[in-house]
Amino acid sequence: MSQGLNYEFLIDTFFVALSGISITLLVTIVSLIVALPLGFLLAMTRINRIPVIQRIAQIYVSFVRGTPIIIQIFIIYSSIPLILKAFFDKYNIQLDIYKINPIWYALIIFSFSTTALLIEVFRSALGTVKKEQLEAAYSVGLTTFQAYRRIIIQQVLVVALPNLCTTTVNLIKATSLGYAMSLPEITLNAKVAANMGYNYVEAYLDIFIIYLILCMTVEYIFKVLEKRLSKYKMANA
Amino acid sequence: MLEIKNVHKSFHKNAILKGVDLSIDKGDVVVILGPSGSGKTTLLRCINFLERADKGHASFGDIKVDLHHAKKKEIHAIRQKIAFVFQNYNLFTNKTALENVTEGLIIGRKIPRAEAIIRGKQALDKVGLSEKYNAYPIELSGGQQQRVGIARAVALNPDIILFDEPTSALDPELVGEVLSVMKAIAKEEGTTMLVVTHEISFAKEVANRVIFMDDGVVVEEGSPHEILVTPKEERTIRFLKRVIPKDYIYQI
Repeated sequence: MSQGLNYEFLIDTFFVALSGISITLLVTIVSLIVALPLGFLLAMTRINRIPVIQRIAQIYVSFVRGTPIIIQIFIIYSSIPLILKAFFDKYNIQLDIYKINPIWYALIIFSFSTTALLIEVFRSALGTVKKEQLEAAYSVGLTTFQAYRRIIIQQVLVVALPNLCTTTVNLIKATSLGYAMSLPEITLNAKVAANMGYNYVEAYLDIFIIYLILCMTVEYIFKVLEKRLSKYKMANA
Repeated sequence: MLEIKNVHKSFHKNAILKGVDLSIDKGDVVVILGPSGSGKTTLLRCINFLERADKGHASFGDIKVDLHHAKKKEIHAIRQKIAFVFQNYNLFTNKTALENVTEGLIIGRKIPRAEAIIRGKQALDKVGLSEKYNAYPIELSGGQQQRVGIARAVALNPDIILFDEPTSALDPELVGEVLSVMKAIAKEEGTTMLVVTHEISFAKEVANRVIFMDDGVVVEEGSPHEILVTPKEERTIRFLKRVIPKDYIYQI
């Protein structure tokens, strides 16, 4: 450190790390696309006390919340290849499991954990929408599906938005753990670059800045969204 | 037009309705009176399937249905003919006054948007809210919200409107505006109404039939004069004594 920061490396690595943003965003967005409807439906089973399924959802949430994501990554990343291998061997499928792109594992793990978090987000949000809203929808001739699509989900989303924002930002940050399974996202790209000349401080500074900008942008987008969607609530304020 | 027979409903073994019969003709304004807990609200909710009756039949024009075993399709068909006005208004909080009225027209009745908006505005004009098309429920007073609730029901052009204590949640000074809107709709449009209310003056001036319910059964029914002035049953007399104030009645 005596010679100070290597600015050239700092700037070069910034762009190397930035090239991982597409993987980071891909994992984040696909996980959300899977987790949003799934989390909502499972939250509904909790609210409506659907036997068996609600219990499974409950246990699922405890499992995901009770374990660090890095451990979930280790378990899935090491066990799925073994299971697949046994499966492939049994049915004589010629496929090298070690050539599977780690992005598939990342998508499974992050969809899986985000769904659990969203079950809880939606469960609390659903609790704030009174059942009278549903009754009113029925009374004007809407079906249950129409009532949810037009009335309930819109109200639930507004209540859930702050927590959805938190979940999304946490998800973006959690994808940095993808480096543990060689997922070429922001963190891994920077680390690989740093390995060559031991310029770790510069590399870490780069990813620090990238995550900060990325998360602040996401927070801003959510804030705008919240303002637009909740205008019916602040009409008087 | 609407006939219901032998409706039973219990909540947790607590019998609320113990065999209620009711028949309503087109153009009728029927008021149901009765002490709280007598099953008036539950009766309305069973007619519209917001509660599932344990037993009972309904015939609605040419639709006949078992209130307990009705299928989704039958329920949907009946709800298309009935509108409901709630005690707590139950406006869609995320929609404007006009959207509240048009929602059921566009989505429920599949009426083209442009036509629905015209009908929605007419309904809101009728209840005196021409200035409030784009107001959200939170921006409206209780009386205004309930008038939107009534416009929402009227716009559907239903065969009958069920009113579940439409003024009970209102501040006393707002009761009059809602009752007079209801009166106007009954008198001018000839809308068929089944109204649960504690407003004796409304029963007296607007209803053509009054039903007195107590403890899950219809105790007595007849013209407003028969029930309010010359009641025969002991329970009706006792109830009226308690609710009719001697010196003051709302003027509508």
